[in-house]
Amino acid sequence: MKKIILFCGLLILLCSASCFALPQPQARVKQMVDTVLNVLQQPDLSATEKRAQISGQVQEYLNIASMARRTLGSYWDGASAEQQQRFSDLFVKILEGTYLSRIDDYSTGTVQYLKQRVKDDKAIIDTVIVAKELEIPVQYKMIYVDNVWQVFDLVIEGVSLVKNYRSSYGEIIRQEGYEGLLALMVEKVQAMESSM
Amino acid sequence: MLKRLFILCFFVSLFGVSIVGADDFDAAFGDEFSDAPVVTERLIADPLQPLNRGTFWVNDKLYFYLFKPIARGYRQVTPRPARVSVGNFFANLATPIRAGNALLQFKFRDFGTETYRFVINSTFGILGLFDPAESVGGVKKTVEDFGQTLGFYGVGHGFYLVLPIVGPSSLRDATGVFVDSYADPLRYSHLKTSEQMGFKMLDAENRLSLDRETYEGIVHDSLDPYLFIRAAYAQRRLAQVGEDTYNVNIFKGPLFDSDLLNPFDWIGF
Repeated sequence: MKKIILFCGLLILLCSASCFALPQPQARVKQMVDTVLNVLQQPDLSATEKRAQISGQVQEYLNIASMARRTLGSYWDGASAEQQQRFSDLFVKILEGTYLSRIDDYSTGTVQYLKQRVKDDKAIIDTVIVAKELEIPVQYKMIYVDNVWQVFDLVIEGVSLVKNYRSSYGEIIRQEGYEGLLALMVEKVQAMESSM
Repeated sequence: MLKRLFILCFFVSLFGVSIVGADDFDAAFGDEFSDAPVVTERLIADPLQPLNRGTFWVNDKLYFYLFKPIARGYRQVTPRPARVSVGNFFANLATPIRAGNALLQFKFRDFGTETYRFVINSTFGILGLFDPAESVGGVKKTVEDFGQTLGFYGVGHGFYLVLPIVGPSSLRDATGVFVDSYADPLRYSHLKTSEQMGFKMLDAENRLSLDRETYEGIVHDSLDPYLFIRAAYAQRRLAQVGEDTYNVNIFKGPLFDSDLLNPFDWIGF
């Protein structure tokens, strides 16, 4: 019992020390998720229209620049500004192709918010997506930039999206160079668009 | 009495989670957050890559031209509830593997979970065909295997291995699968080897029939499915072992997760 009180006290202390001035990052995630679910549950929209709306509305919650930079890791600095821009544009398209193609599966899903951890301008939000017969733990990593909380990584069942991309893309750059990676990305985006 | 035990278990598990949460708090806010460029890390060593890619290619063809068509046919003649029950049955049968490995890692909570599930599901669940432990009691299956046990004691992957038919693995995890097969009741069932293989195939095809095209999704989405699966495998296994760094000191591990086993509790700290 003593321990529980101690723990609660600690929790309150932690929270009051760090989330004082900043708005709650978890509320931001909830806002994003609700936006997506809201679009998905509109019955008179076609799948293409849904995808277009979600893609437009979700981007303000993500820090695409940070995602792209973290994905390239140490290779980001070696690339020219023009290459960085091309990479970012293709990267967004690949993210869209990956996450929007199957998003309809989750239209009947609900999201449970388990806990939020905040430290200065960083936050980790733990959630679980519960859809028909499956439960997927999803963790959002966020940073506070320009007075708003933004998502820069998703960790799904322990697998970090950014880490996975970084590991694969890094190896492709080592073998085929930066232009080789971009060429593969163009090819992938075309294949994704034709199958949508 | 059972209810009280339930509640106790619930609180112990809640507390366990919170301790782990506090422990990895700082680790979770580690270098991933810094704006400095991250050195491109290798998640798992892969010295046999040419060989692995060969096996990966063969597995890919086997998947699309053999196993998936079989699963599709099987799905058409078997209603979904029956397939879910077949899956439950095999999962229940494999309880000794999960329970044994939980014990080897001093994860008494997981051991309790597995024992409870086995008793409930083998009786009320009619030989494990149904899963009332989860559907009624809300007690979910754990994920434990000998590869994780080795990881718990600080053994690294060694290197990445793509096994024929089975798929992604590593030197450590393949050893784990071999060791686990000795805790598999099927091994001691007096069935012929060919019959045992038949059951294994049924288990695998059944799982495939319930899968939501995970592999197709990866092939569709990633630039190089081989690299993507390798990275995801390494990350997922690391998360399952539950330690970011290889930890040889078992006293730092989940041994003290339970109040009962925490000596600080005995002296009323």
